[in-house]
Amino acid sequence: MTDISRISALNEKYSIFARMADDPKTDSEFLFSAEDNLTSKDIETRCGSRILDGHRPVFDAYVIEKMKAYGGELIGKTNMDEFGAGSFCTNSSFGVPKNPFDMERSCGGAAGGSACAAAVIEDHISLAASTNGSICCPASFCGVFGLAPTYGRISKFGLVDCSNSIDKVGLISSDPKRIAEFLPVISGKDARDPTSCAQPPLELKGRKIKTVAVPKDALSNLSKDVASCFDSSLDALKGMGIEVDTVEMPSLKYAQPACTVIAAAEASTNLASYVGMRYGQQDGDLSLKFDDYFTSVRTEYFGEEVKKRIILGTFVRMGEARERYYMKSLKARHLVISCYKKVFEDHDAVLTPTMPIISPRFDEISMMTSAGSDQAGRLTAPPDLAGMPHISVPCGYSGNGMPIGMQMVTDHWNEDPLLTFANDWGSVFDIKRPEVTL
Amino acid sequence: MKIGLEIHVQLPTESKMFCSCPTTDADAPNTHVCPICLGMPGTRPVMNRKAVECGIKLAKMLNCQIPDTMWFSRKTYFYPDMSKGVQVTQFDHAVGSKGVYHIGKKPIGITKIQIEEDPGKTKRFGDKSSLVDYNRAGMPLAEIVTDPDFSTPAEAREFLKQLITDIRRTIDLPGDGERSIRCDCNISVGIERCEVKNVSGLRNVERALTFEAIRQTKILKAGGKIERETRGFDEERGVTFSVRKKEYESDYGYIEEPDIGIFHIRELADSITIKESHVTMAARLSKEYGLDEKTANQMVLTSVGLAELFELIVKATGDVQMAVSWTRGTISANWKAFEASGKDPAGISEILVRFGKGEITDVETDMGIKSYMTGKDAKTVKEQNADLEHIIAEYLDAHPEIIDEMRKNDKTVNRVIGHAMKETGGKYSSSDIVSVTKRLLESKL
Amino acid sequence: MNKETLTRVAKNAHLAFSEEDVERYCVSLGEMINQLNILDEVPKEEAYVVNPVEIADILRDDVSGIFMDPYELLKGMKTYENYVRGPRLL
Repeated sequence: MTDISRISALNEKYSIFARMADDPKTDSEFLFSAEDNLTSKDIETRCGSRILDGHRPVFDAYVIEKMKAYGGELIGKTNMDEFGAGSFCTNSSFGVPKNPFDMERSCGGAAGGSACAAAVIEDHISLAASTNGSICCPASFCGVFGLAPTYGRISKFGLVDCSNSIDKVGLISSDPKRIAEFLPVISGKDARDPTSCAQPPLELKGRKIKTVAVPKDALSNLSKDVASCFDSSLDALKGMGIEVDTVEMPSLKYAQPACTVIAAAEASTNLASYVGMRYGQQDGDLSLKFDDYFTSVRTEYFGEEVKKRIILGTFVRMGEARERYYMKSLKARHLVISCYKKVFEDHDAVLTPTMPIISPRFDEISMMTSAGSDQAGRLTAPPDLAGMPHISVPCGYSGNGMPIGMQMVTDHWNEDPLLTFANDWGSVFDIKRPEVTL
Repeated sequence: MKIGLEIHVQLPTESKMFCSCPTTDADAPNTHVCPICLGMPGTRPVMNRKAVECGIKLAKMLNCQIPDTMWFSRKTYFYPDMSKGVQVTQFDHAVGSKGVYHIGKKPIGITKIQIEEDPGKTKRFGDKSSLVDYNRAGMPLAEIVTDPDFSTPAEAREFLKQLITDIRRTIDLPGDGERSIRCDCNISVGIERCEVKNVSGLRNVERALTFEAIRQTKILKAGGKIERETRGFDEERGVTFSVRKKEYESDYGYIEEPDIGIFHIRELADSITIKESHVTMAARLSKEYGLDEKTANQMVLTSVGLAELFELIVKATGDVQMAVSWTRGTISANWKAFEASGKDPAGISEILVRFGKGEITDVETDMGIKSYMTGKDAKTVKEQNADLEHIIAEYLDAHPEIIDEMRKNDKTVNRVIGHAMKETGGKYSSSDIVSVTKRLLESKL
Repeated sequence: MNKETLTRVAKNAHLAFSEEDVERYCVSLGEMINQLNILDEVPKEEAYVVNPVEIADILRDDVSGIFMDPYELLKGMKTYENYVRGPRLL
């Protein structure tokens, strides 16, 4: 089987891609995939949404451009929760990726397809975006490594925004060396994205993490499997000579609600551009008055979870709610950042489990409320809200064989020690790959 | 009656606010567009330096408080001309706020000045749909919001007239049509106010406001209630009409714009010096040289260049009285021709230096200046002058009472001008007549 | 979240909901909003920032140029004589 036909077969089985490349080159140096919110000239870009049906961007995202220039071939656009709205990648209009460790379970979200691709395709690297744990969560559920670098480290030119003050582009792979190889390829200043222009140079010098802080509150309400795996991992860390302290980080409790508010508020403004004109779906009845036309197109083509986020996001920035929710969330972000900075004065990193639970089954997910799935992101929200770099590394397996991940967070611009740690960890910890039968 | 204005000025940049698309007139719709101003998913705005500078200049001109740090906000509303569904504008961290601008002695409060992007343009397509041209989308604007400090439509017009002159000078705004200034007019006769959107031209602003004032007064007199709403202005019929219920600011759900970052503008603001506005210049001339307000204003309004020449002459000769007399007389009279010639004003002050030293007579000086300014040779000027001077001198000799009247009422000069016009039958330009008359009169006064 | 609020916000956001939808959304959004109450504890006076890391003074020079054929850009759009077609205005 050639690489490409094998990937097609994997896609059939796991619903990895929203769209695969039509006719990929077979002589490229490596294959990579990208979440479907990164624009690609050659492949439709729909962000998991029917409202972008038929959208062929006129430009490649910066990161795709860079990967291509480095010799890569874009093999497909991975499935994601529609415009990032969701935690389990079950809100995609183009297929729900299945967890390679248990087909009845979720790959995590929003970038579920990317984590799935990293788990089942050999030597694969996938580009994805992180808003509310949307890289670390799926990486953890699929037993792979997922890096969300510092906010502004990688140009977002060509990223279809969910939450512009939170979104970061990052990488998912089963091999931490691949992440370390590609991060320098896609980071750096890009004049087309002002948020990328504030960064100091990326220096990968193998700096090590010597001390980690574990916030006490993070250890409550964990599932049993997660708690015990995390405990053993802490022992393993100590065995590596890393000092582990338990610390109080009281402000982290604001992170998940603040992340929900800011993400919804910003997403609701980004999504205001989808009105059945200019791109994507344009088949509505133009003889309707514009308000009615826009409403009809949006009502028909946005999915339920996106609509909830739009309503929530519009609500929290209007009238009196603006001060109570939106402005308070910005202030909460400031508290969370200060809280991290304080801990980083005498620790190299903050460590928690990535997710408080193992990947839920699809039938469990269908019973969950939106509020409940937001709660699942309470450990990944803090670094995303604070713009800190964070990596999820596999750290154990539950009794039923599902992967569990832990998340290491460092101060702004300190990706280097995260990658060093991931690499060292890879040689200490026995990573299991899913058994793939085709 | 309370009137407040929101004035939109297109900033004179070469490229749009967030992308490099040209701001010049396009040959066809949607040809000065790119993925950024079309709001294509994945694009992001990059701020134009010149637009920030212009914003700061205008904020300074309006005596606004300029913050150390400014940033942008997103205003979300749905309209076909909004390519992104949001407008990048400034909300509570604008480039300037709490300014003041005087018309005559009356201070008009400037609530704030913000930098923002223009939407595209829509037009109806039959009765069934619309057509949109995004060439204008992303053009940089400054919006100046005044306090409701005007008490009459005429006052609002007077303000606008002066403001536009000052704006043009401050940011070198060309005076062509497409770039003209658009205005939203807020007016309340009772408690609730109406906003008349998108009125262009001074005259229309006054017309729209006057119509609204009468309309609202009538409603109130009849015991009715004014609805808070947005209205349009029909230029042809001179009437305003209801467009929609007014949105409240809070409905726009402003958020901080996260794509552009923040701007530390203190240093930039301190380093920018703006050209003196007409009003400030007139006030300064009046104070510095003891000119009466009217003379100072007249000089500046004729042309800032003229006022600058006046200052040059004072500097060169040290004689304010003489500088005033020549500037108002011969120099003013020939200013237009001179401005068009692009000659160096120093040439004029050199002639006057010689006059001041007594090297040349006033008649020679007059001819010298005229010849220099108009480019006509000395002989022609001399002949014309002699002829004209003769007529005027004869008239003044025949009517000695004019000199006395002149002392009481300076409009008397019009009688002399009228006579000279009639006598010379169009042979001389009125500006020539005025200048010679003034000079002769002044020599007799 | 009550029906009136949902209806008002939905109108602003240009989304329409059926009667059944409204009830379901009210419940779901109500739960989401309840989770936000903890934000009330954040002090009002707390400072805030626009971006998590400072993005400051990124400006481009005022130079104009067209780098992509505008006709290519319009290819995927519904157009009429180079205008983009839109819905009725009034």
